[in-house]
Amino acid sequence: MRIAEKRAWSVSALLLLLPAWWIAHRSTTFIASPAEVFVHLPGFLADPGTWLNIGVTLWRVAAGLALGVAAGFFAAFAMRHSRLLREVLGYYVTGALRTPSAIAAILAVAIFRGSEAGYIAVVAFITFPYMAVGLRDGLESADRELDELAQIYHLGLWPQIRHITAPFVAPFIFSALRNAHALAWKVIVVAEIFGAARTGFGAAFEHAWNYMLMVEVHLWLLVFMAIVLLAEYGVIRRLETFVFRWRG
Amino acid sequence: MSAPDTVLKVADLGVSYGAATAISRLDFEIRRGEFVAILGPSGCGKSSLLNAISGLMAPSRGRVVVDGDELYLPRSRDPRLGYVFQAHRLLPWRTVKQNLEIVLAASDVPRETWDARIDEILGILHIAQFRDSWPMRLSGGQRQRVSIARALLVDPSYILMDEPLSTLDEVTARSLRQELTGICQRTGATVVFVTHSIREAVYLADRILILTRGPSTIFEDYRVPIERPRDYDDARIAEVEADIIRRIQAPWGLGPAEERQSA
Ligand SMILES: Nc1ncnc2c1ncn2[C@@H]1O[C@H](COP(=O)(O)OP(=O)(O)O)[C@@H](O)[C@H]1O
Ligand SMILES: [Mg+2]
Repeated sequence: MRIAEKRAWSVSALLLLLPAWWIAHRSTTFIASPAEVFVHLPGFLADPGTWLNIGVTLWRVAAGLALGVAAGFFAAFAMRHSRLLREVLGYYVTGALRTPSAIAAILAVAIFRGSEAGYIAVVAFITFPYMAVGLRDGLESADRELDELAQIYHLGLWPQIRHITAPFVAPFIFSALRNAHALAWKVIVVAEIFGAARTGFGAAFEHAWNYMLMVEVHLWLLVFMAIVLLAEYGVIRRLETFVFRWRG
Repeated sequence: MSAPDTVLKVADLGVSYGAATAISRLDFEIRRGEFVAILGPSGCGKSSLLNAISGLMAPSRGRVVVDGDELYLPRSRDPRLGYVFQAHRLLPWRTVKQNLEIVLAASDVPRETWDARIDEILGILHIAQFRDSWPMRLSGGQRQRVSIARALLVDPSYILMDEPLSTLDEVTARSLRQELTGICQRTGATVVFVTHSIREAVYLADRILILTRGPSTIFEDYRVPIERPRDYDDARIAEVEADIIRRIQAPWGLGPAEERQSA
């Protein structure tokens, strides 16, 4: 598909939501009409408080994700390195993978008593097993033939990691990153709500919900969707296209 | 005693995988500038031989001496070595030029000469126009040319080639085969060329080391009695090929039907 064509389809997909929204508005009492929500959108976006809350959540996601990725890398290399660590870490990874996000959120909030570290920890905890498993599988399928190539041409350890191992496992890292990213957004909001956070998207959303400010609830949802889509398509997929440009 | 221009000396070499012996005993020498084909049936241990020579695997017995330096016991110095694998083994995420550069970076070739060197070698292999292409955009023959360029790049003492043309279609294989001897003459390369094609060996090589079935030994060190330049379709190539087939019938255990297939 050509780029313009792709864009057109994406935009029509989004526009299709409008009639659905409108029908939902007509048939329920608590869903605001699209028109009403869009009237309030400019004022909402002009409010520095909106951006403060978004910024806080964004920071929690980014920091937690970074920590989770780092921990996942560490775990993957450790599992590669020793059979014992592979066994032991394997249980942790499986356990973390199977833990429902809501449970993880409640636990983290309880353990860290609603401090900032708790929000970051829960994102890290939920995302790290994806990176650990993805990278471990990547390293495991590493190509013996390319290893031999490195040996024949006397590549040192660092050039080998940089030019052979890293590009080879890159697809595994990206698919893990996508999963982790999607989950990070899901779990952070849950944590912010359970943790009775004072700032952040979840806090603002819950505040609006408790006071039945339905237009504001809608506005937060809209902004949230926009940010998640932007992070996925504007950042992660772009980076992927660049890294895999050789696939042509 | 070795001749003074001996590049590679293999003495009493044995290769085993656990209890299974792939090569029982090999002795041979290769001189500078020689093109030596190693001919043997599938599974007789040709790839194992190259892996042992190149240091990819330790032989179970014997010595490999390159340019007068013992390669094992003690492993004093890694020789400059070129290796052309059966599959091209280019890194798909690096352009042609970048694929060559990592080899140069691992060698002691001064950086300011890299570009000139790369351009020269790509010119020799007629792929200069693909310098900045991704390997995936190249044909099988072009990729194998890059792989040969990579092997020639660091002026290796010798080049090992493991059935490098066997995955190419016959038309491509022919043109590359035709160029290969010219390329070796221009660059002065010493080549150990593994093949299971008798005609290919006769056409390319100065000498053919004919191996027995595995676990292999050398059945015959055969000097190809045809002067260069040679023509792949020449009747004399076919004659020598037929002669070799006669000789190997017993040691390779060929029946008349198999013989026709090998030919
Ligand atoms: N990694 C390995 N482990 C065990 N046996 C092997 C291995 N590689 C090769 N062999 C065996 O060694 C013999 C020689 O193999 P190879 O050197 O690949 O032969 P060729 O290249 O002549 O076809 C074969 O019998 C093969 O099954
Ligand atoms: Mg082989």
